[in-house]
Amino acid sequence: MKVGLFIPCYVDAVFPDAALATYKLLRHLGVDVTYPTGQTCCGQPMANAGFEQEAEPLARKYRDMFAGFDYVVAPSVSCTAFIRLQYPHLLGENKHECKIAANTMDVVEFIHDVLRPDKPLGRFPHKVSLHNSCHGVRELHLSSPSENVEPKYNKIKDLLSLVEGIEVVEPERPDECCGFGGMFSIEETAVSLQMGQAKLDRHKATGAEYITGADCSCLMHMAGVAAKEGTDGGIKFKHVVEILAAGL
Amino acid sequence: MSTSHSKAAEKFLENQTYAKWHDKTFWGVRVKRDKMAYELPEWERLRTKASELKRHTLTNIDRYLEQFSDAAEKNGVKVHWAKDAKEFNEIVYSILKDHDVKKLVKSKSMLTEECEMNPYLEERGIDVVETDLGERIIQLKGQKPSHIVMPATHLSHHDVGELFEQELNSEKGNHDPTYLTYQARLSLRNEFLTADAGMTGANFGIAETGDIVVCTNEGNADMSTSVPKLHIAAIGLEKIIPDYEALSVFVRLLARSATGQPSTVYTSHFRKHRPEASDMHIVIVDNGRSEWLADEDHWETLKCIRCGSCMNTCPVYRWSGGYSYSYFIPGPLGINLGMLRNPKEYAGNVSACTLCLSCQCTCPVKINLGEQIYMWRQKLDSLGVANKEKKMICKGLDMVFNHPSLYNAGTSLAHILNSMPSWLLENSLNPWAYGHKMMKFPKKPFHKVIEEYRKKEEGKQ
Amino acid sequence: MSSKNEIIGRCRANIRERLPRPTLSDLDPTVYPDPLEKFISMAQAVGCNVARAKSKDETDIIIKETYPEAKVIASNLKEVKAATLNPDLVPDAQALNGTDVGVVKGELGVAENGSIWVPQTMRERDICFISENLVVILPEHRVVSNMHEAYREICFNDYGFGTFIAGPSKTADIAQVLVQGAQAARGMTVILVKSE
Repeated sequence: MKVGLFIPCYVDAVFPDAALATYKLLRHLGVDVTYPTGQTCCGQPMANAGFEQEAEPLARKYRDMFAGFDYVVAPSVSCTAFIRLQYPHLLGENKHECKIAANTMDVVEFIHDVLRPDKPLGRFPHKVSLHNSCHGVRELHLSSPSENVEPKYNKIKDLLSLVEGIEVVEPERPDECCGFGGMFSIEETAVSLQMGQAKLDRHKATGAEYITGADCSCLMHMAGVAAKEGTDGGIKFKHVVEILAAGL
Repeated sequence: MSTSHSKAAEKFLENQTYAKWHDKTFWGVRVKRDKMAYELPEWERLRTKASELKRHTLTNIDRYLEQFSDAAEKNGVKVHWAKDAKEFNEIVYSILKDHDVKKLVKSKSMLTEECEMNPYLEERGIDVVETDLGERIIQLKGQKPSHIVMPATHLSHHDVGELFEQELNSEKGNHDPTYLTYQARLSLRNEFLTADAGMTGANFGIAETGDIVVCTNEGNADMSTSVPKLHIAAIGLEKIIPDYEALSVFVRLLARSATGQPSTVYTSHFRKHRPEASDMHIVIVDNGRSEWLADEDHWETLKCIRCGSCMNTCPVYRWSGGYSYSYFIPGPLGINLGMLRNPKEYAGNVSACTLCLSCQCTCPVKINLGEQIYMWRQKLDSLGVANKEKKMICKGLDMVFNHPSLYNAGTSLAHILNSMPSWLLENSLNPWAYGHKMMKFPKKPFHKVIEEYRKKEEGKQ
Repeated sequence: MSSKNEIIGRCRANIRERLPRPTLSDLDPTVYPDPLEKFISMAQAVGCNVARAKSKDETDIIIKETYPEAKVIASNLKEVKAATLNPDLVPDAQALNGTDVGVVKGELGVAENGSIWVPQTMRERDICFISENLVVILPEHRVVSNMHEAYREICFNDYGFGTFIAGPSKTADIAQVLVQGAQAARGMTVILVKSE
């Protein structure tokens, strides 16, 4: 099984630790993982802003880069969701036959669904508040949406249960949006910040030391709001992969 | 970089106490909705059936419209057809004139709001009295609805109390909702008794039987139609459904989704005029709907049964209020309907969405509201209403991302930043920086880190 | 061309693909083991006072006990001997204003939401709405689990009006505070009559 590692632009620039943890964790789990050079962006920011045509060349580039892999794994839920849902039509391919879209997985779902580890992973003796990001919940189905009447599940929680010493809690309104939304945060700054603050406050109300999640963009947004509060907002941020790989 | 919605939202958020109350109030309705949904194990199947039934009905709407009007006419009801708002208003006015109507009591109808019927009739000397309490409050206040189901929920009981002191002579300083509701009851009772005609909207029209079905909690549609002699019902053509079997699916979803009740207090079927009354009229309104059927991306908006659940769950609605949207229907539904109505005029609402998709998970008829907003965004540029700055950023991003050398230069020299994704930057030109503090950039981006890490790995081997 | 033809013609022209009607046979809606019990608890939950009568003859006693202050009682039902007004005989709908208690027949109770199907069986139907308190008499064997069953059973008569009523009139339009008694009945009593 050949796995390509996709590190989207902002993860590359802002979350190199999460990216490295992904690489290490996959290696630790025995995966033949390759990081092709020359990667950039999946195109989501432009498309969500209304400029899909700008995302098209990026989609083609991505398809060419990862053509030879069985899976492409990325530590970013919203990029993965964008590739999965929008690449088929950007590439002019049939929704059910677009191989590159189907083979792209977020690192959480890849580990949970494909690798299915049952042995303990790292050790992280801290209380963490889980951020269930919108695209993780409602597009990649990493957990059951609170709106829907269906059996409750949460793949991130499942994986975190393999970490020693950890206490996982969820904020009130556990899958309400944090207000990032890419271009939304620029166009609708006031609402975006208000939502970010409300979300941050609910996470902090759990008494957790860390906020964790599978979507770097939400973490980046909330970290930005927290930093503006001063004293780093009294809470720290870690991508879920960094916790899974803690001590590896 | 701002839009009509973002500007209005920023203003809305200036009063933080009020904004927090607004968010909490509508979230409370969402919670009630969840509770109702979870009581029915068949909830998701109901939603699927409701969606399929609407898809079927809308794609056979020509036949169902004919069947409906035939059935209604057989019941002795007069059926009228209005191509647009203008024709609708003219029809209603001519019916009222024929019956020498001076006062019209009406129950809630977003369709009459869409056609701006009230001012049209008022200009022609008709006294129009809204009888839904929320609608009455905003009518007295000279406002428009801020929500399609709870039109006056943006006002506090003090706002209403002060309004009633002026308009209804209620006790000074008594702002108790129970007392205020009673004052409105007394005043409206007098209106029902003295009105010459009653008007209702319609939640559903039943093709097989010709019934108009109206759901209310207050009983105001029933009061409006069981006391005055004349009944006019206004119905958008997309509200026609085949029969009672279909209706049973929709009524189970409507109130649960809208307000978290197992049903509305009254689910009333109007099939004929009262024995002592003169007439019953139904006005079927198109006003753009038949054109929207042709829109491959957006026709499913017509499935809407107007429960308002997409607004209650929408965080942007809750944190910006109904009046921050320029179309008369706010929230995810209003963004989409506004764009169908007039994309150039209402493009300023398209920004009001984080694409969190909660709306389409609550929607009882499974309209893909969030995905439609995404699709509308793709069309802004060709409509000539895309924001220039935004376009520049996106073009700029594209240039950077398509040229790895540029991109790599940018990320490794994060301090120079000229070619970085601009929303990551904290400077005076960057609106994102206004509430965020840029996290400290790591010294090295991952593509540099991994090079070194691999070297180390190889060294070990 | 008439507006009717124009509208229907435009619909026809703009329909891209006619989609089939789904079957509801696999919906599997909730059915209650004891619909009457569920009906009673739901009716109470939506604000009804629920009374049980061994026979129709007890109706008057229950009304008197429940509404001892009532002066104007309107009904066209034979068993309501206390009636002071008859909705079949009043000169107009307005004449029923001021009714303290209106008494009508219900035909079918629905367990899932506590509502009762009340078809018009009187000349002036505003009795169902204009009365301060509404009493609905319902045979207790006439209760179904859900709205699917209800819509298979309800009938219309020549009056051409019927309504499902679930408790007293309500509103939460002022600051989302629930208030009973908006424009129609302020209170409601369901009298469940034992099958004879």
